[in-house]
Amino acid sequence: MVPEELRYTEQHEWVARAGDDTVRVGITDYAQRQLGDVVFVQLPEVGRQVAEGDSVGEVESTKSVSDIYAPLAGEVVAVNEAVVTAPETINGDPYGDGWLVELRISDPASVDGLLDAAGYREKIGEV
Amino acid sequence: MSETALRHSPLHAAHAALGATFAPFGGWEMPIQYADGGVVAEHTAVREAVGVFDVSHLGKALVSGRGAAEFVNACLTNDLRRITPGQAQYTLCCTESGGVVDDLIAYLVGEDEVFLVPNAANTAEVCRRLAAAAPPGVAVTDLHTDHGVLAVQGPRSAEVLTALGLPADLDYMAFTDAEWSGRPVRVCRTGYTGEHGYELLPRWDDTPALWTALLAAAEDRGGRACGLGARDTLRTEMGYPLHGQDLSPEISPVQAGAGWAVGWKKPAFWGRDALVAERAEGPARRLRGLRALERGVPRPGMPVLDAGGRRIGVTTSGTFSPTLRTGVALALVDTSAGVEPGAEALLDVRGRRLRCEVVKPPFVQAHVR
Repeated sequence: MVPEELRYTEQHEWVARAGDDTVRVGITDYAQRQLGDVVFVQLPEVGRQVAEGDSVGEVESTKSVSDIYAPLAGEVVAVNEAVVTAPETINGDPYGDGWLVELRISDPASVDGLLDAAGYREKIGEV
Repeated sequence: MSETALRHSPLHAAHAALGATFAPFGGWEMPIQYADGGVVAEHTAVREAVGVFDVSHLGKALVSGRGAAEFVNACLTNDLRRITPGQAQYTLCCTESGGVVDDLIAYLVGEDEVFLVPNAANTAEVCRRLAAAAPPGVAVTDLHTDHGVLAVQGPRSAEVLTALGLPADLDYMAFTDAEWSGRPVRVCRTGYTGEHGYELLPRWDDTPALWTALLAAAEDRGGRACGLGARDTLRTEMGYPLHGQDLSPEISPVQAGAGWAVGWKKPAFWGRDALVAERAEGPARRLRGLRALERGVPRPGMPVLDAGGRRIGVTTSGTFSPTLRTGVALALVDTSAGVEPGAEALLDVRGRRLRCEVVKPPFVQAHVR
């Protein structure tokens, strides 16, 4: 499941425009299926400045651990505390209630440089 | 080992049809979890209803001939004289220096026949060592692909066996030879989950039909197919060691707290002198349970620190406990650190400190009896 309206990264994260200069970030349905049952999430502090590609947290399943990367440069403006207390939300609703962080991005146009749905589908072999 | 060299269980196609995720395990490609399950759901099924596992990768070996039991008893650590024919025993194959080549189950069929179930990766080595030591008249036969192994585990496991007309009324660690659909199957009251359960040994080619029947009976009772992912979280909650992690050629049974599986009064078994000496002196390190007091998931190989941040050990197993909903670990801790159950220790989780309580396993109460 790769929603048409979202943008994607090589690290299996999705990016949605939340406001003029803010985006919401989570992991894709493909990523949550690869991970299996998510049992632990660690998120960054609000206010942290991040560069593109910085590790900003962890998503850990019964099997393995994955870093959460900042898909774009900016500042962390919100984190989803609900997934910290209920990590399984990421499995159940990866594109909705299972979101992870919101960023105010330095360059609003940078979103356009990310993969679109077709590009991400190709990456994961879902064509 | 290359991908192409991985061996397959007789149920490989059945697992694929259930959407299993596969991973290499001891030279075999085995199901880790199933598409409609997942580790937590499969784990919970075993604790609350019943789970059916394919563990056909486990080794099978036969030691037979006049005096077979006496021979095995002079090699492996546990004392076969503690059990009678029709009973099985957890035992260890050690090196002369006291390291563990493998942990295995020995089924005492009779004075002249012992059936062994070693770990997949170690079967050939256990057979090699036994064959090299066997006296004339005692044969050691590697039967790895003569039998499949299916584990039926959980509070409703007896109902599943009864539904198939298989004998379920067995004492813990007892076994009996039965028939299903006119085919032989050995039924054992053994397992690796801490629940009431059975391990069935059908002939290799009969395994798919038995699997299908067991799974149908389990699903009627709220059960399901379970993969090796759940098997690992279940055994870790019980503090059962996994060879290659919690027991190894470098980790002796005295260190691992497996001294109960050693027949200390026996005149001879492999590693006896080294183990008796280590036991008398006291081990330099000891396997302990760690239960996380904060959110975080321990993994094997993480440093264990004392309250002051000094390194006192290393984790050998670690996972998220679906039952307790917290992290649990087994760790080798330096005896000199004086860290006893009830004390606090820290785990270095990729640079983050995770507070843990030192506990005596099991983490979850066993229901095997």
